[in-house]
Amino acid sequence: MTAAALFQSILASLPEIVVVTGACILLILGQFVRKGHFLVWASVAIVLIAALGTLMLAGEVRPAYTGMFIADRFAVFFKFVFYLATVLTFLLSRKYADIEGIGNSEYYVLLLFALSGMMIMASATDLLSIYVGLELMVLCTCVLTGFLRRERRSNEAALKYVILGAVSSGIFLYGVSLVYGLTGTTQLDGMAAAVTGDPLDPGLLLAVVFIVAGLVFKVGAVPFHMWVPDVYEGAPTTITAFMSVAPKAAGFAVILRVFLNPLVAASDAWIIVAVIAVVTMALGSFVALVQDNFKRLLAYSSIAHAGFAIFGVVAGGADGIASVMLYLLIYSFMNLGIFGAVIMMRNGDFSGEVIEDYAGFAKSHPGLALLMLLYLFSLAGIPPTAGFFAKFYVLVALVERGFVMLAVIAVLLSVVAAYFYIRIVMVIYMREPQRAFDPALTPLVRATLAVTAAGTIGIGLFPAWFLRLAQHSVFGG
Amino acid sequence: MGFPLLSLIVLTPAAGAAVLMFLRSDDAVRWTALGVTVLDLALCVAMLANFNTTTHEMQFTETRPWVPALGITYALGIDGISALFVFLTALLGSICVLASWVAIDRKVKEFMVSLLVMQALMLGVFCALDLFLFYVFWEAMLIPMYLIIGVWGGDGRVYAAFKFFLYTLAGSLLFLIGVIVLYFHGGETFDILALTAQDLPFQVQSWLFFAFLIAFAVKVPMVPVHTWLPDAHVQAPTAGSIILAGVLLKMGAYGFLRFSLPILPEASVHYSTLMLALSALAIIYGGLLALAQDDLKKLVAYSSISHMGFVTLGIFALNLRGIEGGILQMFNHGVTTGALFLFVGLIYERTHTRSMADYGGLMKAAPVYTAFLALFILSSMALPGTNSFVGELLVLSGGFAANLAVGAAAVLGALLGAAYLLGMYRKVALGPASVNARFKIRDVNAREMAAILPLAVFVLWVGLYPKPFLDIIDASVKHLLVQVHGKESGQ
Repeated sequence: MTAAALFQSILASLPEIVVVTGACILLILGQFVRKGHFLVWASVAIVLIAALGTLMLAGEVRPAYTGMFIADRFAVFFKFVFYLATVLTFLLSRKYADIEGIGNSEYYVLLLFALSGMMIMASATDLLSIYVGLELMVLCTCVLTGFLRRERRSNEAALKYVILGAVSSGIFLYGVSLVYGLTGTTQLDGMAAAVTGDPLDPGLLLAVVFIVAGLVFKVGAVPFHMWVPDVYEGAPTTITAFMSVAPKAAGFAVILRVFLNPLVAASDAWIIVAVIAVVTMALGSFVALVQDNFKRLLAYSSIAHAGFAIFGVVAGGADGIASVMLYLLIYSFMNLGIFGAVIMMRNGDFSGEVIEDYAGFAKSHPGLALLMLLYLFSLAGIPPTAGFFAKFYVLVALVERGFVMLAVIAVLLSVVAAYFYIRIVMVIYMREPQRAFDPALTPLVRATLAVTAAGTIGIGLFPAWFLRLAQHSVFGG
Repeated sequence: MGFPLLSLIVLTPAAGAAVLMFLRSDDAVRWTALGVTVLDLALCVAMLANFNTTTHEMQFTETRPWVPALGITYALGIDGISALFVFLTALLGSICVLASWVAIDRKVKEFMVSLLVMQALMLGVFCALDLFLFYVFWEAMLIPMYLIIGVWGGDGRVYAAFKFFLYTLAGSLLFLIGVIVLYFHGGETFDILALTAQDLPFQVQSWLFFAFLIAFAVKVPMVPVHTWLPDAHVQAPTAGSIILAGVLLKMGAYGFLRFSLPILPEASVHYSTLMLALSALAIIYGGLLALAQDDLKKLVAYSSISHMGFVTLGIFALNLRGIEGGILQMFNHGVTTGALFLFVGLIYERTHTRSMADYGGLMKAAPVYTAFLALFILSSMALPGTNSFVGELLVLSGGFAANLAVGAAAVLGALLGAAYLLGMYRKVALGPASVNARFKIRDVNAREMAAILPLAVFVLWVGLYPKPFLDIIDASVKHLLVQVHGKESGQ
């Protein structure tokens, strides 16, 4: 590699370098400053610098590290989703981390490392760099899941995540090794070029199945969803909020790059993907109906949403990709919003994790109740909220490709999903309060709720700009 | 593009709702809400005064790009069919505020905000000329209506609110798929007028017809997807029932007129017999159910199913008298049934029972109340001189022209209507007071009269001199018929 090529590579990966370096510095500084606002603001500053760098480099497509990595608009879009989710998580964490006693510097450093892993995933164009990013992200979120050291369910969740995550990584790596053995390359472009011959080499088919299985695990789709509810319930709520949004988006970034690769396309994987989408959405929606724990319900809801986004992957094509991207952006706003509300309820001895805790919330805190109403109706996909437009665009992509039956299934399942969101609205608005409570409303939490509300209603009313952004960020276009 | 009158009409209640958020006293909230709805009504009267009845073209149109990448625009406009419903919505809006003046005594501000938001969305539905915009308004109505039923309703309100929400959502989402399919078959546009000009293959029309039918039939509601209606009506507060009966039920029929007939003409003609049969079924079945009720509100709710059967019957008779009668009946039903729900609400506020067995001899205690009740009951029975007579006569003559058997069934339904309505009046107003009637009943006060009088005026006005109302819709309906039959005969 010449010096010029190396410089270009470093330039392309500058945001990643910023985040990793920043995290390392924070790790050292954190030994002197154990707690307080400094950690939050320093972390936010690191992310903002990275965001600035990403924005400045967004002008052109920059392949780097001999085909392992690419900085294109597709990656930029996803990186901004990660930045958004990470910054909002930082803002939500300050008070919550103090209440739970986990507010030391490692918490913020691990989040930053997880962010860098996701950024690598979004930019990776080689199965190995995908794997590096994936593991970096999974290991960090895994430690964060077990951060409530004194709580058994937190430990159990972390253990479950580690073991199942390792198994899925193994499956993924096995698929990668098969691909390498059969085609002599692990680069996505190289794989595409290796597709000749009809019918496809059965070994390659097997490899595709393994890779699909490994990736599907990470977004929590059926049949690899079992870890999601337990991990979401056991993890600190801020981490659950983070995990339900950012790593999921990262998983989809990879899935889009890999699934819409000609090799996978040639293997008719879309049939498998369509089945996964239907089953995922059905399972998420139906099981969520019987949950009493808010975090568990949101875990199943996130499974259902993953299913809906996978429908966009099934549709494929430019509109399909753009629809998934837009869906994930909108999902970040509304899901972080509703999690912000849950996190805010954690105060004193009050957990805010049981749905019944919210009985009569509208009476005591009408403003906050209205916000929750907004997020819940958006998750249910009712206009004029952003959630409706997210679903609408996925349906447009599906119908455009002729998958009308899949679209019908998707909407019928979203009626089921609507039921449990509306049930929470019912508890908030139509029950009498059981006891008085005092939400932990710091200025930072307020800011988060304001940002997510602005996104949820803003994208719903003025989707044009965001839609164009997503359409322009589709790779290869 | 001239003065944005329609945007003003749609946005006034929404702006009013935003203002209400900052008010503290309940009385200030009530008066402001009344002021906003009266202002909106005045704007609608101005709209009607400037309405050109000689053309079927869309009037007061406004178009602005919204999501250009998908061909979605913010387009408003009205023709004769929508003009009447825009006016009806604004009229019932003021009456709803008056009807909830004392009936709603907790969370008054939240209630009025929901009511005004609801009104803005309903007006939007009738004004939208873009399918996407239409759908956004149509679906967004679920939120305030869910809250109105679920927060301020009766004892079984939560169940009723859920049922209403899920039925409507399921129907609407299939409609959404239909809209998207139509988008791709109709040249990638959501412009309703452009879609009307498309000539779709019959196969596509058939599928779309049934996708739309599910959504519209739930809203109308037609048998057998009507079961949400009695629950929702009985549990909803009076204003909620008035909105449901007065406006929401019209939206399904409006959908048939605005989308099914002009965009899918061949399918509409082909399946018209099925639709006529379903309408006749609704008329008879709704009437029989109403006959068996003891609960006043349930009786009026089931009678709505029967009356809306007349509306769909008129529409799918697919001739001039039928469709004009159907549209006029939609307006009449809004006025008359809205008034009946108001009357049920008034008596319920005083007695806290809706069982007819508990009443009797009200005529002595509340003469003004029973006199006006008689007027509206006679109107609901379609007695000559009242509004429904004109509409029902048109529907029946259109219906007989289309299908003899269905016309005969409708006449039977009208007879049933006389039976349950007269029975209701006898049990409530006439005879000796029942043994349970231990209430001291106050007659209607001035505020209640203010809500009743405008409705009474319309009952007689349409009944005695329907021409101005028929003039508004005439040109548009004639054009609609050209669209349906012109295309069907191959032009």
